[in-house]
Amino acid sequence: MLFKISLSGVKARWKDYLVLFSGMIMASAIFYMFEAIALNNKFVLSTTVGQNAKAVFVFGSILLVMITLVYVFYANNFLMSMRKHDYGLFMMLGAKSKKISSLITLETLVVGLISTVVGTIVGVGLTQLVSGVLVNSLAIPLKYFTPFYLPAVWTTLLLFMVLFVIAGFMNARTFIKTPALQLLRSESLSDWKQPKTSRLVIQAILGIVLLAVGYYAMYDIRHLLVTAIPIGLITIVFGTYFVFNSFFVMLLQWLQRSSFNQKGINSFTIAQLKFRISDYTKILSVVSLLFALALGAITVGVGFQNDIPELANGSNAYAIVNTNPSSKMTKLIDQVDGKTVSNYQQKIAGKTVYYRIDQFKEKPIFYSSFVMKGKDAGTAKVEKSSTTQLANPNSEANRQFKMLQNPTIQGLRVRFVSDATFNQLGQSTNQLQLVRVHDLNGQYHALKAVHAQQKAEMGAQAEALGESFITYTTMKSMFASMEFMGIFLGIAFLAMLASCLMFKILSGADSDKIRFEMLNKIGTRKQTLRKSIRLQILGLFGLPAILGLIDVAFGLQMFIRSGLLYHAYGTFAYSAIGFVVLYLIYFGITVLIYQKIVIPETSTEK
Amino acid sequence: MTEEIVKTQNLRKIYDQHSEKPYEALKGISFTVDKGDFVGIMGASGSGKTTLLNILATLDKPTSGTVEIDGNDVTDLTPNQMSDFRSKKLGFIFQDFNLLETLTASENIALPLSLQNTQSSTIEPRVQQAAATLGIADLLSKYPTQLSGGQKQRVAAARALVSNPSIIFGDEPTGALDSTNARELLETLTHINEQGVSVLLVTHDPFSASFCKRIMFIKDGKIGDEIQAGNRSRNEFYQEILEKLGTFEQ
Ligand SMILES: Nc1ncnc2c1ncn2[C@@H]1O[C@H](COP(=O)(O)OP(=O)(O)OP(=O)(O)O)[C@@H](O)[C@H]1O
Ligand SMILES: [Mg+2]
Repeated sequence: MLFKISLSGVKARWKDYLVLFSGMIMASAIFYMFEAIALNNKFVLSTTVGQNAKAVFVFGSILLVMITLVYVFYANNFLMSMRKHDYGLFMMLGAKSKKISSLITLETLVVGLISTVVGTIVGVGLTQLVSGVLVNSLAIPLKYFTPFYLPAVWTTLLLFMVLFVIAGFMNARTFIKTPALQLLRSESLSDWKQPKTSRLVIQAILGIVLLAVGYYAMYDIRHLLVTAIPIGLITIVFGTYFVFNSFFVMLLQWLQRSSFNQKGINSFTIAQLKFRISDYTKILSVVSLLFALALGAITVGVGFQNDIPELANGSNAYAIVNTNPSSKMTKLIDQVDGKTVSNYQQKIAGKTVYYRIDQFKEKPIFYSSFVMKGKDAGTAKVEKSSTTQLANPNSEANRQFKMLQNPTIQGLRVRFVSDATFNQLGQSTNQLQLVRVHDLNGQYHALKAVHAQQKAEMGAQAEALGESFITYTTMKSMFASMEFMGIFLGIAFLAMLASCLMFKILSGADSDKIRFEMLNKIGTRKQTLRKSIRLQILGLFGLPAILGLIDVAFGLQMFIRSGLLYHAYGTFAYSAIGFVVLYLIYFGITVLIYQKIVIPETSTEK
Repeated sequence: MTEEIVKTQNLRKIYDQHSEKPYEALKGISFTVDKGDFVGIMGASGSGKTTLLNILATLDKPTSGTVEIDGNDVTDLTPNQMSDFRSKKLGFIFQDFNLLETLTASENIALPLSLQNTQSSTIEPRVQQAAATLGIADLLSKYPTQLSGGQKQRVAAARALVSNPSIIFGDEPTGALDSTNARELLETLTHINEQGVSVLLVTHDPFSASFCKRIMFIKDGKIGDEIQAGNRSRNEFYQEILEKLGTFEQ
């Protein structure tokens, strides 16, 4: 009987249950996605960054389990906020608290089981989808990677079921321990106290100073070296906490004193936001830090990948080199856009390869030199080579030039001679064709065809040519797995932390109902109420995101200034936009559900 | 000369009209309230008191019939007009005080004014004035959790009063108060009423009702009877209410 009534309660709130289910399904799906990579040792270790990646995934798994724990806890709170009243009522009516607790445990477990099983299935699908998209769009080869990976399935099911059993028992305890009357009364903000100004000021200053120190430490990595990382971590973690606990609260207090506070229901909006921020300090700080971590992972992962053309062009000046190109080859090279082709004549006599010096004066060749000093120290730069440099057998220019020739003659001496001397040599004349291409990414397919032709003509020797395209493809396969992991990790984390925040906010909705009803009664327009909700939730979503973005903006300095990344900020802009869009979707959903819960229905029926 | 502040004609309210079991909560209610009057509406549980009050307060619309408040027909307003009307013309006192815990008493009182985008320079003195009327001038900077039940209800009353409404509505305003605080609030309402503000209370508590000048009894969605306090003392009126309830609720 009681079971039936309780089921009807579920029916009455099926939309909220839908939210709960979809949230839980997403959580287990994301967890599965992550574990499908993390547990797949064969795949992780097969990548060139294997050992390091394993460490990243172990660390990531621990973090994700922790977030999942918090997540299940919040989702469960949301469930309880919906059910407390009903079950409290049953108890008032004389239902045994034992009976009620077993009902709520059952409910929690059923919700957990259904959503975990569905979520794992969805996870397999998602993994298939995301890896498919990444493989196609990034030309990433993924060996040993399978979307359906049994150990990941078991891990996901096990973890979530354990969490739900714990949640179920916690809920049962709540019903045994809490008097019915208290369950009936909706949670009030009775413990709201105005924080002390002196404490606020000290914490706010401390927070800002800590953040500044952390940002500076990351910026100054060249001097601080590895110590920059622990310094940055500690100061930023505590700085973030204090900034939420005080700085933002003070900012809102300042707004409260301005006349802005007396427009519409701004006073309510600001006060409510202020209360929520100090109530949610911990989760907001965690969201902000994880947001930064996830965005950083994506940015660095993609950043490495984006730097490949630059790295490849830096290591070799020419994308393609040919000696006596066949007509087929010439046709294929014609397909490459945005190229500069230079031709040099070559004769081989004994142990020496001869070239016309005038041709090299006219069209100096390029080589890549490593910058040792100055602002760009540690980076490679393409430079023109003089003929004297080129002729010096001990120079880098000479060494690199030799590699441009056919592998069979790469060991020979090179000499640059006048036209007259060159013409006197009886040997046949070869054509050395050097092709420079800037946009390696854009010309990838055309260049791949050229390289395939080289292999067809020269066999394995084609790999010994000093071409940047070869470096490019090698690096690509090396960094691809890193990029893949970065994106995967980032998305998984973002989705989890955004839904955590969503449930945390939504579990407060039920107790907000009465406030919005009152505001409606005293004559607040519906759109004003909606706007207030949007602003409040925007504050809760936006502030951690802004802080997270700033964290990453400074954190990237660490990679740039240690010479690991070149164009990090371009990548950052894209990944940040992608991130914010995804995050905004969660924000939008939260707002819609919140509004549905708290805004009284208009009775316009006549 | 007496003006009519509330005038209803043949109000009907049918809940779940299009369902299999429509329920007629109000079955043709017509009455008027004069400006400056203090009216009580009494009736058994489920008789339709809250339904009627919600319609008068533009929180709900009648299925048919009209409501005029201060000369404005409120039955044809759009939802936004309804909201604006409530914030300008009506004051509310609810059973549970409904103060916002995160705002100070003075911010709570100021809400209806800021809703109408009143200049901030005029908000302050008007809050002060309303607070003075209710004797809570020294509580203005406190938060609701620092106030007693009776004080909270007086803050709520100040909030209802601050926008100079045409009429103040109360749905069981003393329902959550003990007898001392209840008496205090009712005396305050009487005091407000004496200054010319019309008051309409919905209650099933005869003690609360005895503070009114006039009482309408509602039964099964219709107005059954009506009594006036006239020049009698409050106690005599109270006795009559009790008698009336005895016969009325048969
Ligand atoms: N939203 C609704 N839908 C359907 N029926 C309703 C609705 N609201 C009220 N009713 C019905 O209308 C009738 C009158 O309800 P109303 O709330 O006006 O009573 P009341 O006089 O205020 O009672 P009480 O003294 O208990 O508050 C009741 O029978 C109730 O069941
Ligand atoms: Mg009622």
